Amino acid sequence: MNEDVTLAKWLNDEMDDRELKDFMSTPEYATYSKIKEFSGRLSVPETDMAALYKNISDNKNKANQPRVRRLNPWIARVAAILVLALGATFFLYATHTTTQRAEVAGRETFLLPDNSEVVLNAGSDVNYREFNWSGNRRLELEGEAYFKVAKGQKFDVVTPFGTVTVVGTQFNVKARNGRLDVVCYEGKVKVTSGTDTVLLTPGKTVAYLDGKNLNVPNAKEHKPGWLNYETYFSKVQLRDVISEMERQYNITISLKNNPQPNSPFNGTVPMNNLDMALDALLPVYHLQAKKAGNTIILSAE
Amino acid sequence: MKQDQPAGICEEITFSGFFKSHAKALRNFLYYKFGNEEQADEATQEAFIKLWENCANVPPEKAKSFLYTVANNTTLNHIAHKKVVLEYSKKNVNHDTNNQSPEFLMEEDQFAFKLQSAIANLSEAQRSAFLLHRIDGKKYHEIAEILEIGVKAVEKRIHGALLQLRKEIDTFK
Repeated sequence: MNEDVTLAKWLNDEMDDRELKDFMSTPEYATYSKIKEFSGRLSVPETDMAALYKNISDNKNKANQPRVRRLNPWIARVAAILVLALGATFFLYATHTTTQRAEVAGRETFLLPDNSEVVLNAGSDVNYREFNWSGNRRLELEGEAYFKVAKGQKFDVVTPFGTVTVVGTQFNVKARNGRLDVVCYEGKVKVTSGTDTVLLTPGKTVAYLDGKNLNVPNAKEHKPGWLNYETYFSKVQLRDVISEMERQYNITISLKNNPQPNSPFNGTVPMNNLDMALDALLPVYHLQAKKAGNTIILSAE
Repeated sequence: MKQDQPAGICEEITFSGFFKSHAKALRNFLYYKFGNEEQADEATQEAFIKLWENCANVPPEKAKSFLYTVANNTTLNHIAHKKVVLEYSKKNVNHDTNNQSPEFLMEEDQFAFKLQSAIANLSEAQRSAFLLHRIDGKKYHEIAEILEIGVKAVEKRIHGALLQLRKEIDTFK
């Protein structure tokens, strides 16, 4: 099946002389020839190619932009608020400090998150963070407390006058008025005050006054006496004994002149009977007491 | 070969160079296809924008055929495919002689007019092939490439176009 494409051959000057002669003799040739001639003279109206390109440029830039998908801005906003809220909650939670306080003339017994037991003596504060407690057992103590520490990682008691570090033990820490007393009842206790570090074994006692080791004798009890309202003082200044009594009895004790300022007190003072306490203390310094309401005035005999 | 340019058509400079060398021919082709300048311009833009959007997937040596594929697939969907009106500007008609009679010149004008309306009445396929040859001077094999058909098919279209044109012109003498 050979379809006729002779006209195409002619138009493309592919006819041989014979074919051309034959074709030229046909009556249609005149018109074909004119068509060829005239159509060769046609042209396409010009257009502004620069403007066309500019349109394309504008459009292709536009076309490319939607590929960067913009999220609904509310998603970002809500996400940001959530992150902030969560962050703030976590921050507050992580940095939240729990405070336990024993008021003057009071006691406070509580458990730490690991069930370690703490007994706060009168007028004492403890601060600690519950967050990650088992990973960071550290508390700040101002005053006096008895600890029964659960087994676990090291346990730090930070006082203004030194740090007590323990591993599963029972011990007493007293931090008052520049003086730090630590008694170990069970396990081991490391006490650091200034540059001095002491490792206490059960029954051992250490006391620092203004960072100096006082070399006090070891405690004889198995528990701190104050738990049973009997406070044992060893090489303690009279003013500190008086402060302790003020805390325990919630009274004011006024001492004009200490007749023996250089002799510290050694002995046990009951903390549940004021008269007996005064009887234990006053004879040592030859003082007499006068009660005036909530105030006791001490003076020389 | 523009193998040295890793970004290919996506490179602004390559793209604009490509536009300069191919846009006019593409527009002409689309003009023959639609017989309308505005639509030819619009379809030219669209073809180049499509090329840009696909620049990453079209290697430079395939870009030209990509353009013509898009152009071939472009159809006039918004305007009914009625009789297209071509507005070809005439070149200088006074080709060889200046001393032709006014009658002769008038006849020439008439013939040109008839030819134009006859071309407008051709089918899209015949018109495109015919004008690519007559105006752009494309070889048959080049036309075949543009229209994405065989050379034989191009020859058939040209033959058919000439037959049709002569018939129409001679009928309305």
